[in-house]
Amino acid sequence: MNNCERFGVTEEQLRALVAEGLRDGGDWCDLYFEDTSYHDLLLRDGVVGSGGYHVDFGCGIRVLKGEKTGYAYAESTDFPSLKSAARAAGSIAGALAIPAPLHGSSGLQTSGSAGPLPQPSASGPSLLRGRGWPRSADPTADSAAPGIASRNYYPERLAWEDAEIAAFVPFLQRIESGIRARDSRVLKVVAILSYSVSDIMMYNSLGELTADHRPLGSLSVQVIFRQGDRTENNTVSRSLRMGAEMISDEVLEDLVSRAVAGMDARFEARRPKGGQMPVVMGAGASGILLHEAMGHAFEADFNRKGQSIFSDRMGQRICRPGINILDDGTLPASRGAINVDDEGVPGQKTYMVTDGILTSYLHDRISAGFYGVAPTGNGRRESFRYNPIPRMRATYMESGPDGTCEDLVASVRKGIYVDQFANGQVKIGEGDFTFFVKSGFLIENGRLTMPVKDINIIGNGPQALADIQAVAGDLKVDEGTWTCGKEQSVAVSCGIPSVLIGNLTVGGE
Amino acid sequence: MITEKELQFVREALALARQAGAQKARATLSKSEEDLVATLDGEVDRVTHCADRSLSLALFVDGRFGSYSTNKLERTALEGFIRRAVAATRMVAGDPCRDLPDPARCCRDAVTGDELGLVDPSRDTLTPADRQQVALDASVFAASFRGSQPPGEAAAVSTAQAKTENTDYQIISEEGEYSDSIYETVVMDTNGLCCAHSETSFDYGVEITVESDGEKYSGYWWEASSHRSELDAAACGRAALARAVAQIGSEPAPSGRYTAVIDAEMASKMVSPLLRALSGYSIQQNNSFLMDSLGQQRFPEGLTILDVPRIPGQTCSKYFDSEGVATAEAPIIERGVVREYFINTYMAHKMGMAPTIEDATRPKVLPWPEAGLDRDAILRRCGSGILVTDFNGGNSNPVTGDFSYGIEGYLFEEGRIVRPVSGMLMTGNFLELWSRLVAAGDDARPCQTKLVPTLAFAEVDFSG
Repeated sequence: MNNCERFGVTEEQLRALVAEGLRDGGDWCDLYFEDTSYHDLLLRDGVVGSGGYHVDFGCGIRVLKGEKTGYAYAESTDFPSLKSAARAAGSIAGALAIPAPLHGSSGLQTSGSAGPLPQPSASGPSLLRGRGWPRSADPTADSAAPGIASRNYYPERLAWEDAEIAAFVPFLQRIESGIRARDSRVLKVVAILSYSVSDIMMYNSLGELTADHRPLGSLSVQVIFRQGDRTENNTVSRSLRMGAEMISDEVLEDLVSRAVAGMDARFEARRPKGGQMPVVMGAGASGILLHEAMGHAFEADFNRKGQSIFSDRMGQRICRPGINILDDGTLPASRGAINVDDEGVPGQKTYMVTDGILTSYLHDRISAGFYGVAPTGNGRRESFRYNPIPRMRATYMESGPDGTCEDLVASVRKGIYVDQFANGQVKIGEGDFTFFVKSGFLIENGRLTMPVKDINIIGNGPQALADIQAVAGDLKVDEGTWTCGKEQSVAVSCGIPSVLIGNLTVGGE
Repeated sequence: MITEKELQFVREALALARQAGAQKARATLSKSEEDLVATLDGEVDRVTHCADRSLSLALFVDGRFGSYSTNKLERTALEGFIRRAVAATRMVAGDPCRDLPDPARCCRDAVTGDELGLVDPSRDTLTPADRQQVALDASVFAASFRGSQPPGEAAAVSTAQAKTENTDYQIISEEGEYSDSIYETVVMDTNGLCCAHSETSFDYGVEITVESDGEKYSGYWWEASSHRSELDAAACGRAALARAVAQIGSEPAPSGRYTAVIDAEMASKMVSPLLRALSGYSIQQNNSFLMDSLGQQRFPEGLTILDVPRIPGQTCSKYFDSEGVATAEAPIIERGVVREYFINTYMAHKMGMAPTIEDATRPKVLPWPEAGLDRDAILRRCGSGILVTDFNGGNSNPVTGDFSYGIEGYLFEEGRIVRPVSGMLMTGNFLELWSRLVAAGDDARPCQTKLVPTLAFAEVDFSG
């Protein structure tokens, strides 16, 4: 079945829908068809006693007028329903006639001096320039343009649809038995397998028809431990954009070993004395620092609106020479991998910081048009129910020259080392970011001493970036189930080599 | 309203489930419609129209259980979906604890869905132009350009902070979002349950970013009501601007122990972990810092939390939970004594306990030590400390109750705000925190699901 048949439409109807969307004067229209099935199996109290699946099907239609968006969707893809959605989305063009234009005046001020509102680049925005992406004459070429690829980043030797659900039951049971065999303190184990398969078809007013088939598998395990009268918990996960072959002994061993790792220290852990101190962030999951401290602030919608603390920093040095930070949709099997984004732009690797200089924001087609650059493949959405916006993929820093993690710890007289995290957040305008540390250690005279846990750390994005004092050579991209919640939920990943930040505020007593 | 045709559709889904081999089943039809107008700097930036329908099924097949949902509701697609769902349920292990709720506990008084008076029919009369006008009229940015209200005055209207009028700042951006929606659901099961709920919602939220001395500060405010006439969208812009401006010049206060006053807008963050810890799922899995607490004095006498799920006209009131079990007013924590775990049918069987309700519907923290206190009165009562008006990240450990949150707010002395603070962390343990409860106000915001007023706690660790 080809994609048009899957969604019950013809190419002629796609063209008609775009024309309907543009009828009121819009200058861009795109269609996003989605057919997704989600499955889950849950082990609790030693029994895989609950499962389910969920079907989500529909088409989102977006019409742009300049940077303004009209959006509507239909849960049925019969032509009248789609045409009605196209008409609703197209109303944005008419809506713009209602209010008197305000831009063009000077910015609002109180008793201070007025400054201009954010303006497009000197060459000015054009309707389609920047919304298209550079293409090679040979669409199968591995490197159609720098950073742009047309490969499949989702390995799928065994499609989830073809796998036997019954075979997953003993896998979850082996996870529990493996965990219980390694630690007699285990009280409870909950293991969840969830996987989804999305078939996507996109069409736009440039006549581009794009399709993607997106598998995503996730395993998460929560363990409760009891030692004497004390209870502790640990949660580990692994999420890969690949087929059912991820249900493997390697993944099982990884989850089991991490589920019981470090529990002696967890039971001994205490709250540190709070305050400002140097922080060594271990390789891998510490990439949450990049996601919160700078990734969101580099998403171009925040900059287009002038809200980001990095809005006027393009081309400037923001951290020391030698540091490269990128957002990458091309890591095979990564949760952040995308063959194409949700606007049909190919997955690619985007250097946000090159040798310490801010070199690129993360663009969708709207912001690319505004800034007069090519989109970077960051236009993503949760589902057909949402319009795409600039979102991260896999965000990480390249390895640096400063030795190993142990070297960084040895350089700190009094500080903290952190390596496991639960969540983070950022205030875009202020640049204040936080992340919640599940486990770490105090550093005293260059050595790890008292275990610590359950503390929040807070810093300011530009200050923290400028304060990265050392970068080890041990880059690791984390494969946990990271989900970014900026207006919509999308799968991402993050990574980093071990880094030393001179000064962050650590919560404590 | 849920139509007779839709009711018939749900009945047919249950019949199909039985034909496919399910002995028992529950079917929930949900549908919603939403129109949204987003503004950027006083102009329409985005309009969206959403309409959703989905069917959820809980299937009980040969002692096994599965839950499924789909939005492909055509008859042919539904038949195939249910056949596959029954077959998939047979793949999992049997679990004798799974069952439908006792019909005697189920809701019988939610027949039309509008018994609580939460549907405003005027939504049907709104036009796209009406919606855009509401959104544009609410804009502080637009109002200032039109000269209808000087921003300096606007900033001063709804804030207790004193510094807004004479501070140099520039509005960098204003993002507003108006939406109105209707949500309807009907739940039926093979024991004869049939209950419905309908609710309209009118919402406006706005975030304003200002710049002063090269630094940016943002403020957010929102309002929501099930009735259009009760939504004061314009007040949101003024409040958001005031909150942004009031943060100008903020910096951390010295680390130390302070009295913490948590503004009512944010205070539910202090209550939600308690309610999660009382969930049957948490208790059964030993994933709770309130194990073995039923009937025990775990909190000070000043803390009473009631569930008040059936107040007519109040957003989020509801007559039944997702199983169709009838809600009722009940104490959750009474004068510090834990009175209720949230135990659904499944957890009741697993834990060997009587079932209650699956979750608190509309928890309400009662005032203490006296009624009528608002935030300013509590600041005066406390004298000095840190007023928390926003949280920035953080989390808590469900097993130990340890927490650590980023905060911003104000240092206050002698009952008056002295200066803004940000970049600080508030760290502690929920049991210890609540043992130091100083006051609970009488100023919960009715637009919030949890009715939690301004709270004050003594001797809280802040790091800056």
